[in-house]
Amino acid sequence: MIGGRRPIRGRKPGDRRVRVERPHSAYFRYTGPGQLTAKVTASAPKTRVGRAWAQTRRVLFGRQLSNEEDAFERLPKKLALPIFSSDAISSSAYATEEILRVLVVGGASAIVFSIPVAIAIVVMLAIVSTSYRQVCRAYPSGGGAYVVARENISQIAGLVAAAALLIDYVMTVAVSTASAVAQVYSVVPQLYDLRIEIAIVAIALITIGNLRGLREAGLAFASPTYVFLGLALLMIGLGLFRIATGTAPDLAPPPDAVPVGTAPVTGFLLLVLCLRSFAGGSVALTGVEAIANGVPAFKPPESRNAANTMTMMAILLGILFIGITVIADVFHVLPTEEGGQTVVAQVAAAVFGDGSLLFILFQAATALILFLAVNTSFNAFPRLSAILATDGFMPRQFSFRGDRLAFSWGIILLATVAGALLVAFGGDVHALIPLYSVGVFVCFTLSQAGMVRHWRAERDPGWWWRAGVNLVGGILTLVVLLVVVSLKFTEGAWLVVVLVPALVAMMLFIHRQYAASSRQLALRPDQVIAPPRRAERVVVPIAGLNRAVVQAVNVGRSISPDVRAVLVSDEPDVAEHVRAEWEHRMPGVPLVVVESPYRALTGPLLAYLDVLDQAWPPDEEAPVTFVVIPEYVARHWWERILYNQSSSDVRRALIGRPDTVVTNVPYRREEPDAFERQPEAVET
Amino acid sequence: MNDSPRPALRRIVLALNGAPTDRLVVSYAASLGKPAKAELVALHVVEIDWTLPLDGSVSGLTEEAQRVLDIAEADAEHLGVRLEPVLLKARNVGAAIVDEAASQEADLLVLGLPYRKKFGGDFVMGSTVPYVFKNAPCTVWVVREPMPQEGA
Repeated sequence: MIGGRRPIRGRKPGDRRVRVERPHSAYFRYTGPGQLTAKVTASAPKTRVGRAWAQTRRVLFGRQLSNEEDAFERLPKKLALPIFSSDAISSSAYATEEILRVLVVGGASAIVFSIPVAIAIVVMLAIVSTSYRQVCRAYPSGGGAYVVARENISQIAGLVAAAALLIDYVMTVAVSTASAVAQVYSVVPQLYDLRIEIAIVAIALITIGNLRGLREAGLAFASPTYVFLGLALLMIGLGLFRIATGTAPDLAPPPDAVPVGTAPVTGFLLLVLCLRSFAGGSVALTGVEAIANGVPAFKPPESRNAANTMTMMAILLGILFIGITVIADVFHVLPTEEGGQTVVAQVAAAVFGDGSLLFILFQAATALILFLAVNTSFNAFPRLSAILATDGFMPRQFSFRGDRLAFSWGIILLATVAGALLVAFGGDVHALIPLYSVGVFVCFTLSQAGMVRHWRAERDPGWWWRAGVNLVGGILTLVVLLVVVSLKFTEGAWLVVVLVPALVAMMLFIHRQYAASSRQLALRPDQVIAPPRRAERVVVPIAGLNRAVVQAVNVGRSISPDVRAVLVSDEPDVAEHVRAEWEHRMPGVPLVVVESPYRALTGPLLAYLDVLDQAWPPDEEAPVTFVVIPEYVARHWWERILYNQSSSDVRRALIGRPDTVVTNVPYRREEPDAFERQPEAVET
Repeated sequence: MNDSPRPALRRIVLALNGAPTDRLVVSYAASLGKPAKAELVALHVVEIDWTLPLDGSVSGLTEEAQRVLDIAEADAEHLGVRLEPVLLKARNVGAAIVDEAASQEADLLVLGLPYRKKFGGDFVMGSTVPYVFKNAPCTVWVVREPMPQEGA
């Protein structure tokens, strides 16, 4: 190998050359004057356990991605549609059921209102999605309701929207997973008892998928969504064909059907029932905002692609929701008690034939899209958390990206809370739904109110038309919000009403903490830092005289000439022996022996430091005391139990002590030869 | 017409000089070397004045020189090839390139020829390229920087 600084002879006399070593190249690249960029090897673990953990992570989550590879993680529309819309589209699998569950109380005369209620919801979907199209165009950096409300209404309004959105995302994970499991036990009833275990495993798998990164998750999530769309459209087409040709079956109520009310409901009671069913069915709108939040994840032109994807999603969702509701109404499908077939499963069974291949395929695809709908939240929740963390309203860790450029902290928090919620509610979709809608409509209302103010402030050509759309949407969503809160308050909506202010208070508290610390740490704009003027002194706590102590004292001498060793001892004879040896071997460094008849080590040392401080001339600025702690480096994990316990106690006790700097000086057993070469350590 | 088979490419030496042509040199060498699975050696020579010791440290020069190779290494990585960087100090750049190519047993030597905008703009061959042409023990490619109107 050619190398070193030894000149290499050339072919002609005088043509010598020297190969320059590149010691940095294994870990860094020079990318500018005085600037290095770390390679992946710089953060490679050095220990055996660290390497094994890294290998496990590589297998689970894939290789580390660099920031430069971020550009390749953008989503084309055909991947963005299933990723960001699976939540909204999949809600067609349970929205109809939520309408029927309410109307069935009012008997057959009330059930006929399921189609008008569904149409009203789809009209609202059209208004909300039109409004969010405008959000996509007005806010290409994403953030959705949070950013819109913060920028156009107030910081608090933004935080309320953010809190509602965070709750909404958690609920999406919980509700979609519970509903997916319900589709599974609609086909295999024996799995009902295992519903929670299935749900937790599904969430764990989706979590791992997302920790691996957006694009890979996108590919995995795209095909089942398209399969569901294809089969659902086929089912609706066939169902409508049978209705048009007069061959629609009149299904007998299933044995476990929810009892249909017998007393006719009219007037105000019917109106309340319709409003309640509207509130229940409006879960179909959940997830609409995800695209507006995730605009930066789209390929350029981000805003246009996101807006077009939003329209496509709204059209598909509208067709599926109305189609399933019409077929369920005409075929006389009734919801069942918990554990029975879902409404959408009954519709599929009626159209494709119960137990047929297409029915099983459709159920599998429905379950899959619902499991995968969870991914919408796994994309949006961490992004919103990262925006909030960047703004100082959530812990900064939420804005850090992991090995695969995913916001790992947000992903893990979402999975944990949603999993806990599923366990707490026993995996019951209908128990979770009332918690779901409140957060969603808080976001819609704030977002649309913010957009009205945005258009008023911008006053672009045609602003009044845009503001009008948002105003109508805002009023409608506010009405729905009030209906949902008032009618479902006792069923669980109260929890969200309590949680939103609690989350806002928490975010404000975090923000105040960060603001206070940054004020304390900030330099004055005109400040030029002069060299330090304060006196420095060094205290080395010792237990005896050995190589680690000598090394620590030498480090102390390089900090300040004022160095003293302190021996806290409960054995006067031993202390006297150490002193004698110390004075012989370490001339020039005073040793203070603190006798401790009560055998405490840390307390007397701290008291000695206090005494030193008090002895300092009061008219001079207090000195900086460096406490230099000798430490023996253990080679094995089990050795750590045997050594350095006292130094750890001292270090802990000194944390936060004013004018005190704690320095650990490790002594490695592997370096005795190097130590022997130090003349000051061996010359006695 | 000569229909003899093309010689196998086992090692390509890329002589880099820190100019914009370096990217072209790496890109051409990568496109040739990748299918042939050839080893790529990026070479950058810092010319040391006769008044200074050859094996002494030259402040400021080395970091700049390391950067030339680091950028080339990063470019090669993006193109999916591995590149072995070699940094040399020598009295004569041309001689050092030729000698290193010989000791590396290179099959191909690729150099860049930058376009200079000063003095009306021209390709100035200088002394290195002609020296390498005359003395290199292997095939030599010179990658010319596009002229401004070509690049526009």
